[in-house]
Amino acid sequence: MGSIRRWPRPEAPPSLRDELGELRIAFQVRMHSERVHLVALSAELARAEGDPGIIYDDLAVRARRLQGGAEVLEFDEVAAAADSLEKAAYRAAALHTDNADTSVWNALVALVSVMGSYDAR
Amino acid sequence: MPANPHPLLAHLSAGSDEGPDALHTCRILLVDDDDLVRARLAALLRQSNYEVEVAASGEEALRLMSTSAFQMVITDWEMPEMDGLALCRCVRVSQDQGYVYLLMLTVRASPEDLAAGFAAGADDYVVKGAPINEILARLEVGRRIVYVERSLRASRANLQLAFTDPVTNTHNLRYFLLQLPRELARSRRYLHPLAVLTCEMEGLDQIQARHGFETAAALLRAFVNRAANCLRTSSDWLARTGRSEFTIVLPETKTFGANRVLEKLQRAFGFEPVATPTGPLPLATRISVTAVEDGRAPGSALRLESLMQSASRALRSGETRSATDSPLPAFDALRIGKHGLN
Repeated sequence: MGSIRRWPRPEAPPSLRDELGELRIAFQVRMHSERVHLVALSAELARAEGDPGIIYDDLAVRARRLQGGAEVLEFDEVAAAADSLEKAAYRAAALHTDNADTSVWNALVALVSVMGSYDAR
Repeated sequence: MPANPHPLLAHLSAGSDEGPDALHTCRILLVDDDDLVRARLAALLRQSNYEVEVAASGEEALRLMSTSAFQMVITDWEMPEMDGLALCRCVRVSQDQGYVYLLMLTVRASPEDLAAGFAAGADDYVVKGAPINEILARLEVGRRIVYVERSLRASRANLQLAFTDPVTNTHNLRYFLLQLPRELARSRRYLHPLAVLTCEMEGLDQIQARHGFETAAALLRAFVNRAANCLRTSSDWLARTGRSEFTIVLPETKTFGANRVLEKLQRAFGFEPVATPTGPLPLATRISVTAVEDGRAPGSALRLESLMQSASRALRSGETRSATDSPLPAFDALRIGKHGLN
């Protein structure tokens, strides 16, 4: 009984649109600091020796939390990128891969990039 | 035969106080550790005329639920302190407010996650990112289920009240008139014995006139409590069938067994005076036995039937009388017992 995701979103009434606008601005502020964390984690991952499982776990948790907010506040690109990172990081942690996991790096770069695009707006 | 046949009566009668509007009220508790998500979803739900409270963790949700009633809970999965799964389990264990419809709203979308959510007790599972129309449609299903459950609970509570004596909280004459014919029919069909004890508390009217209603009520309640301790909880039952009269029904009991119960009752009633608001008073009771042995005692069976007929007349007479005549339910036209039959 999973939900059907990403249906076309119905138009919200004006009062709710205003409220959504304010919440989206608050979420963008959060995204900015979250992006800084992700960049710091990527640097830590690059330097990691041996099994970087803790870093992958941290990435997965942050990505999942980001995805939840992004889905509800209608940042669809951010939600999709965070979903990819969460899955990649979770898989890498489970497989105990080293710090060069391509899918994690691709997803991480994509997420930081899409979050950065909101910084520029 | 428990002294109080309806342990949930207080709770259920509280439910029956709900008016039609209360039945339709639907309060949602929204549980999510993300303040922005909470704010957005709460606004959307309020826009759809739901009454919404919010909590940031499972623990906070349980605290709110312990002080206030919610018909539906929407919960995230991952939260600090207590997560959504643990919250679902806790709610399912302690549903003293009636059924709570649980909807999990999470980013976790794998089939295993979905199965874990349902196993924890969730009624529905929605992945974050679903359009609000879908969430609202699913909540509407929940609202319908909650409404049906609450209606059923209120009906059951009303039914319980209809068969309960308000003074002693034991069965009343209406229950007796419904249940005794069934017992009698079963006894005849399977040729099983059945015994009925009719008990009259002596001088209760004078006690009420002299000491007041509370004292008389204390004696009636003491009768029920002491009698209940002498009966089998699985099959025997008693009902208050008159102002100062009770009838005890003992299925599968022959004359010998009924006389044993009578002796136990006499010992229990004579054991010590009853503490009442106006001081200790004796529990003076006259008891007589009517027993149907293996369905082969037509005389006794006929007496039981005539007993039911007189009880039925008493009920009709009591129902037409004003309820303000006496604080003790007025079934005083009923005069059964004193047959001394066996």
